[in-house]
Amino acid sequence: MSVGPLRLPAAFPTVERSERGRVLAGVCAGVADTVGVDATFVRLAVALLSFAGGAGIVAYLGGWSLLAAPGAQAPGRRRRVAGVVLLVWSVILALGGVGLAGSLVWPLALVAAGLVLAAGAVTFGLSERRTRLGAAILVLAGVVLFLGENTRGSATTLLAPGAVAVALILVLAPWAFRLAHERDAERAARIRTEEREELAARVHDSVLQTLALIQREPNDARRVATLARRQERELRAWLYPDREPAAEGTLADALNTAAAEMEELHGVRIEIVRTGDASLDERTNALVLAAREAMANASRHSGAAEVSVFLDAEAGRVALYVRDRGSGFDPDAVAADRRGIAESIRGRMERVGGTARIVSAPGKGTEVELELPEAGS
Amino acid sequence: MSRPLRRVVLVDDHDLFRAGVRSELGAAVEVVGEAGSVAEAVPLIKELDPDVVLLDVHLPDGGGQAVIMQVAPERPGVKFLALSVSDAAEDVIGVIRAGARGYVTKTISGADLTEAIHRTADGDAVFSPRLAGFVLDAFRSGEATADPELDQLTAREREVLQLIARGYRYKEIAARLHLSARTVESHVSAVLRKLQLSNRNELTRWAAQRRLI
Repeated sequence: MSVGPLRLPAAFPTVERSERGRVLAGVCAGVADTVGVDATFVRLAVALLSFAGGAGIVAYLGGWSLLAAPGAQAPGRRRRVAGVVLLVWSVILALGGVGLAGSLVWPLALVAAGLVLAAGAVTFGLSERRTRLGAAILVLAGVVLFLGENTRGSATTLLAPGAVAVALILVLAPWAFRLAHERDAERAARIRTEEREELAARVHDSVLQTLALIQREPNDARRVATLARRQERELRAWLYPDREPAAEGTLADALNTAAAEMEELHGVRIEIVRTGDASLDERTNALVLAAREAMANASRHSGAAEVSVFLDAEAGRVALYVRDRGSGFDPDAVAADRRGIAESIRGRMERVGGTARIVSAPGKGTEVELELPEAGS
Repeated sequence: MSRPLRRVVLVDDHDLFRAGVRSELGAAVEVVGEAGSVAEAVPLIKELDPDVVLLDVHLPDGGGQAVIMQVAPERPGVKFLALSVSDAAEDVIGVIRAGARGYVTKTISGADLTEAIHRTADGDAVFSPRLAGFVLDAFRSGEATADPELDQLTAREREVLQLIARGYRYKEIAARLHLSARTVESHVSAVLRKLQLSNRNELTRWAAQRRLI
């Protein structure tokens, strides 16, 4: 986002001149992007309006002056006021062009300018009280002018050309609308086809391949389980992308990868539950490696079919638990022969200021609790 | 310990899965009926009036929520336990907010599922580790809310949920926190109630996204 505060109220769509597909300054393309129609329609409208006493050209200059260049900050106050004046002028020219007499146009213009001023005080960065006063004067002047002019002129000379314009709009609008609608329907159909093709490709590459592999080796139960589990993991990552950490390089991401490797290697299920996440740095990296070692131990030695992992990362503190319901062991009885725990888990955690606790008893399963306190404390 | 016989209705659109569950369920659980869609399930449950309905979150003609909403007003005694392969928080939270007493994943073992059915029939809440994780996430501290009574977890409830997320069973939680099993159950039931009634933003957002409320 840009640095300056956005002053436009949310109801105004922010129109920018467009870099993409511009012909002159990108005004038409920018308007088309925001409104959601083809830029050609906008250009055509501007070109047609140019025949109405040059209204199109004036409107274009107004837009150029008023709208921000793509990606740049909004233009200064003077440019914006000039832009609005040019746009109002172009509307007056256009109304004159379709035959509305000056006696109606000028009062209308005054009233409109007053209303725009009143509504747009914030947008133009003007003081509110002065703007309101100015707006009231403009509206009043418009009404007085209208009454003054039209007590004399006859109503028919005033309204007939306007009726022609209205009729033209009524005739042309449905056609333009249908054209735009057809284009949308076509695009939606194309997107649907593309999605279906992607789905088919995905299913073919992964699910069908896995099923074929399973049918070829139906008797190797462990291999079948591993294949099914790998497929499940892939599908889940694709179907529920927000549950799987999408951002590369977070703690949860690294933990998932480590768990997937252990599942492949040892043919167990590792269920990861997590709340919160943390970025990956030297400390959390050590945590992942320690957890990996704990998962490997649980998979290799416990005999349990499933390992539960819970990652709890909140407000800088990270805790990670690896639990199995397998055979368990007496932690005091393991001496130097099992260096895995002492070195890979405890040593790793202590070097980065964390702790590791191992709770286990024969027949009761094992839980490894890893904790990192808040950094710098 | 002998347990009373529980009458169960299975609602899942996969025949194979229903057959697997039926064969795995332990003693004192009798499958009295099966249904594969919302349209089949609603009249069947009303007719059989079982103790527990095992309910798939996703069904071809609606979801588990649709079944609960159509049955619960007429059969308040029937309890629902949601069963799903989905990892999506809004699915899980949605079915719980519709009135299910718990949620377990389809990879659960037969013994654990039997235990969960008895627990559900007794009126207790059944939380899988994953559901506990969702709830902890949804009730993250720090946000000021309109109704702290409903919108926040107590320290004890948080502790219990963390242990569930770590894979502890209720009995193990009770032993670890020096509580009675009954007290652990009442904490979990309180969390379930908050989950169903709270207006916390995260929960309403999930529910609203799926037009569940």
